[in-house]
Order: sequence, then C-alpha cells, then structure tokens
Amino acid sequence: MSIARAQHCRTLLFVALAASVSFSFAQTKVTEYQVKAAYLYNFGKFVNWPDTQANRPIFNICILGQDPFGADLDGVLTNATIGGKRASPKRITDTSAAQGCQIVFISSSESGKLDRILPALDKLHALTVSDMPRFLDHNGMIQFVMDSGRVRFEVNLAAADTAGLGFSSQLLKVASSVKRSEKKGE
Amino acid sequence: MSANDYPIFRRLTRMNMLASTLALVVACTAFLAYDVFLFREGLLRNLNVQAQIIGSNSVSALTFNDPKSAQSTLSALSLSSNIISAGISTPDGQRFAHYSRTGGAELVQVPALAAGNDEAHWFGLNEVVVVHTIVFQGANVGTVYIQSDLNRFYARVWQYVLILALILFASLFAARFISAYFGKAVAQPIAALSETAQTVSRQKNYSIRVMDSGAGGEVSVLIRAFNEMLEQIQRRDDELQGARVGLEKRVEERTRQLVAANRELEAFSYSVSHDLRNPLETISGFSYLLLQEYGDKLGPAGKANLQEVNDATKRMAQLIDDLLALAHASSTAMHREKVDLTQMTKSIKSELQRRQPERDVSFVISECVSAEGDSSLLRVVMENLLNNAWKYTSGREKGRIEFGCKQESGTTVYYVRDNGAGFDPENIDRLFKPFQRLHSKSEFPGTGVGLATVQRIIHRHGGEIWAEAKVGEGAAFYFILQPELAARQWA
Ligand SMILES: Nc1ncnc2c1ncn2[C@@H]1O[C@H](COP(=O)(O)OP(=O)(O)OP(=O)(O)O)[C@@H](O)[C@H]1O
Ligand SMILES: [Mg+2]
Repeated sequence: MSIARAQHCRTLLFVALAASVSFSFAQTKVTEYQVKAAYLYNFGKFVNWPDTQANRPIFNICILGQDPFGADLDGVLTNATIGGKRASPKRITDTSAAQGCQIVFISSSESGKLDRILPALDKLHALTVSDMPRFLDHNGMIQFVMDSGRVRFEVNLAAADTAGLGFSSQLLKVASSVKRSEKKGE
Repeated sequence: MSANDYPIFRRLTRMNMLASTLALVVACTAFLAYDVFLFREGLLRNLNVQAQIIGSNSVSALTFNDPKSAQSTLSALSLSSNIISAGISTPDGQRFAHYSRTGGAELVQVPALAAGNDEAHWFGLNEVVVVHTIVFQGANVGTVYIQSDLNRFYARVWQYVLILALILFASLFAARFISAYFGKAVAQPIAALSETAQTVSRQKNYSIRVMDSGAGGEVSVLIRAFNEMLEQIQRRDDELQGARVGLEKRVEERTRQLVAANRELEAFSYSVSHDLRNPLETISGFSYLLLQEYGDKLGPAGKANLQEVNDATKRMAQLIDDLLALAHASSTAMHREKVDLTQMTKSIKSELQRRQPERDVSFVISECVSAEGDSSLLRVVMENLLNNAWKYTSGREKGRIEFGCKQESGTTVYYVRDNGAGFDPENIDRLFKPFQRLHSKSEFPGTGVGLATVQRIIHRHGGEIWAEAKVGEGAAFYFILQPELAARQWA
C-alpha cells in the first residue's frame, strides 16, 4: 500500500473503519500517525527483549531520520509505561545514536540506507519498525500497512529471531501477515 | 385378621411413613439447596474463567484494533452450548466484537463497572451475565461479558426433583414394609389385648387370659397386669357367687320357717275364731230366749240392757266372720282361671241395690278384659271395694260408683272409684292394715279388716293395690294382677 494512499486516508475515522457496520463510532478524528504512534508504543508490550535491553531503566522509542509523527508520539508517550518502565521518545539521525533504543522507527527518508542500518540495529537488539514498502524484505521486523483505510502491520519473525527478539503470539494473531523463516514461507 | 386391620397398626404405619417422608423431604431439600448453590458457584467460576481467557486473548486485538481477531476468539464460545451471547467492548463503552449463539444480534446492555471492580455478575430468571474488565499491564483495555442460559441449571433442579420423587416413593414403600414387619410385633399383642378385653366384658367371662406372645417391654407388663386383674375379678366373682348362694339358702330357710310360723298362727287364729263362735252363739241364743220368754218381767231398763248384749254379740259375730274371711283369704288354695270382673261388678251392684233400694247411686261399669286368678277370692276383693264405695257414698244424695280399667305399660290396671266421703291421703299407709279405720264407727260402721283382706288376696295374685283420695271428694282404689309372678300360689 502506497504512502500517498495512506496519507489520503489520514482523516478517516479510526473506529468507524475498525468496527463492523452495526456500530457507529462518533468520535474525535484520529490521524494515521496517531494510530501508528499508539501501535509503536503498544508493540513494546508484546515483544520480549534479551536481558541487555530488558534491564535498562528507561524504555526509549526512537525515530531514525525525518520524523513523520510530529507531536503525536510525544502525546502518546506522555505518562506512558511499558513493563513498569517510563516510555520516552527520542529522535536520532544515525544508528550510532541508537544505543539505548528498544524500538526504532525507521523513517522512509532512510530507505536508501536500510542495508547498513538494519544489521547495526540488530546488534543492539532493537525492534525495527517502519512504514516504508518492502521493509520486511530488507529484514525489517514490523512494517505498517494500510488495509482498506485501516492501519495494520506485518511481522517478520525471522528478522526478530536474528536480533534475539521474541514476539508474543497475541501480536502474531493480529498481524495482517507473518513472515517466518525462509523455509516455511508465509 | 391381618395386621392391617388393627387401627393401632395403621396408625403406626402412617406415623412411620409420615416421619420418613418428612425426613426425606427435608434432607432432599437441603441437598438440593446445597447442590444448587454449588452448581451456581461452579457455573459462575466457569463463566469467569471463560471471560478471563477471552479477555486476555483479546488484549492484542483491542490494542491493535483488530475486531476480527476478537471475533474469532469469541466464536470459540460456540463450543459451550449454554452461552447465549458474549461481547467485547472498548474502555469507552463501544462495542468491539460480539458473538451470539443464534447468529443474531442479541445484545446485553452491560453497565459500566464501578471503579476498582474488575468483575461482576447478575442472575436473571433464565440467564446469568458475567462481566470482566480486561486489564493488560495495569491498563484497562476493554470489557468482556458472557451471557449464559440456565438450562443446565434447571435441568439439574428437575433431575433432583425427579430423584427426590423416586427416593420418596421407594422409601415410602420401604417404610410400609418395615412397618408391616415391626408394627406387627407391637400392634398384634395390643390388638389381642383389646380384643380379649372386649370379649371379657361382653361375655362376663373372667376365666379368659391373654397370651403373652413375648413382645417384651411395656406390652408384656400390660398383658401381665391385665391377666392379674382378671384373676382378681374372677376370685371376687367366685366369692360373690358363693356368698349369694349362701344367702339364697338362708333366705329360703327363713322363708320356710316364716311360712310355717304363719301357718301355725293362721291355724291358731282360725281355730280361736271358730271356737269363739260356739260360746257366742250360746250367748246370743240364750239372750234371745231371755228376751222372748222373760222380757215382760225384766222391765224396760232390763230389756234395753239385754238388747245391748244382743247387739254386741252380733258385732262380735261379724268380727269373727271377718277374721275368718281374712284367714281364709290367706290360706285357702287358689285356682287359676279366667274371671270376668265386669260381670262380677254387675252382680254385686244388683245385690247392693236389692239390699238398699232406697239409695240413689248410679253405677258406671266398663267392659274390661278378663282377669286371671281365683274367682272366689277375686269376688271377695270386688265385694269389699264395692261395699266400701257403697258405704262411704251413703252421705251423698246422688252417689256414683265407677268400675273400669286402663292399660299402663302393658298391664291392666283395674279401678273402683266413688264420689263418697273420701279420706285424708296422708293416712294412706294405715288403709290396708287390719283394724285400722279412717272413719269413726258412729259415722260409718265397720271392723277395718276388709281392705287388709283385699290386699292379702291381691298380693297372693302377684299384684299391687293403691289408692287415691281427697276428703269429701271420694276415693279411688287401683289394683293390678300378675298371676304369673305368683307361681307358688296356684294349687
Ligand atoms: N271408698 C271409701 N271411701 C272412703 N273411705 C274408705 C273407703 N274405703 C275404705 N275407706 C276407709 O278405709 C278404712 C278401712 O276400710 P275397711 O274396708 O278395711 O274397713 P271398714 O269398711 O271400715 O270395715 P269392714 O271391715 O266391715 O270393711 C275404712 O274404715 C274407711 O275409713
Ligand atoms: Mg269395708
């Protein structure tokens, strides 16, 4: 699903899309990146990190490259905790600054440098998330996709495995597709 | 007689059955209540667990807004046939996913849970609803409810009721048989006792004894006491019987002596009366001769004195006749025959009228059934009663004498009634005693032996005589004859 189309749908009502026809949600408008910010935060609750990451006092959610969220992420993370740790946003321009990031959102501005960025982040045991197309093919872990106006995501189990991360089955259940190791296919 | 026919046995059986029914109903009700309670708890626990599982399985669906995933989680409930519907809503109360057994859209209005309250449930008549808050990492991510029917619950209650009825039925049967077995042991000796008691009191046979069938306990004591009582009664009865026989013998002896003495006395008075007659006739004859042959020489005073002697001898002769009649009435042999008292009255009436034709006395004589007795003695009775009536009405200008009879409780009561001088009823006791008179000789002559003779004759006929009277208004004499009660008298 193209970003342009995704942008197009920004103004659609989140719940109206989500719910079945019998329910009519009359609520404040929720933007696509507000949803993605919330998801980004929530991923933290369904992923198991190796000890090096798990022992950090602060849960950092980092944005690498040009920030598409603006204030949305800061809004979501106000007073938010994950596994009892305070969640905090962090904007970085390079993987060298990714030390201490549990989740790294890779902006589409970085699409050209993926082959360099992803192995570096794997070493840091960080969860890599992006909404650029074919992210999973580059061994990214979670990729946002748009499905009839709804924000959904695909998961690459093999990539997470490489970085020593584990996904909870609950997360896999709601993923629109799960990419397992090459042999099993999807 | 089968045990069933004893009232006491029936009562025992009824008591047994009632007691066991009551005990069973109470016990089964308690069991039912306990089971219903347990079942309810179990049902709730089950639903709670299911709600919890659904809740925790729906966390990611809620978090990542995936109603389809929640839907599929909910649809697992179709395995539990008791669940009518279930639903998941977001924390702000919007419906997120829902499941319905029929596939329809039955909705349960789930009220918001109070803060700090993670679960709630409520029972309807045919359903129970369980609500759970879905909490994930300390945050409320939604609410799940499950609505279950109570079919299995009611089926269970019905089962219980059915089992209760079956057990009740079976145990009533058992109670009946047990009663039949043990009740017989208790009821039979008592029934036998009561039967014997009845027989004893009906037949007055105190030699009967109740058999002790070895029931033991109070029943045996009762039987022993009853038998002892019977023995005492029998002993008393025998003693009484003996005493009576002795008494009868003594009475018979005395009566015999008395009768003998009486005979002697009667014979004596008869011979005295008889022997008095000869000198009296001599006195009477010679005083008559004296008066006839020497009357002129005696002078008027002497004549009067001699007349006095003559009158006195006449009265004495009358007295002797009366006494002889009394003695005769007491001792003469009696012959039982039919006697027409009406006819007798008529003939006596003619005699009286012939003797004193100047008197104006009307007779009313009823036709009465014939009496039974000795005709010459009954003639004495009627003569005396009618003579009295004739005599004591002499003061009346128009005398009236009545003879009649009436039926009183099966016996014939004869009566002679007049409208003469009458007498004071206070003196009735003296009436029938010899020589007792209620009127003076100057007023009405007589010796006072007549009614004594009458009573003697009536008594010899097994009968009774009594009188009613009022001074100046006449008198009535009633008598009955019961010859069958005087069997010894008949020759
Ligand atoms: N019909 C009557 N009316 C009134 N008084 C009567 C009648 N019959 C009897 N008495 C009373 O009862 C008394 C006893 O009667 P009872 O016939 O024995 O004697 P009596 O007539 O005087 O003498 P007698 O021996 O000659 O009959 C009488 O003296 C009389 O006073
Ligand atoms: Mg008389």
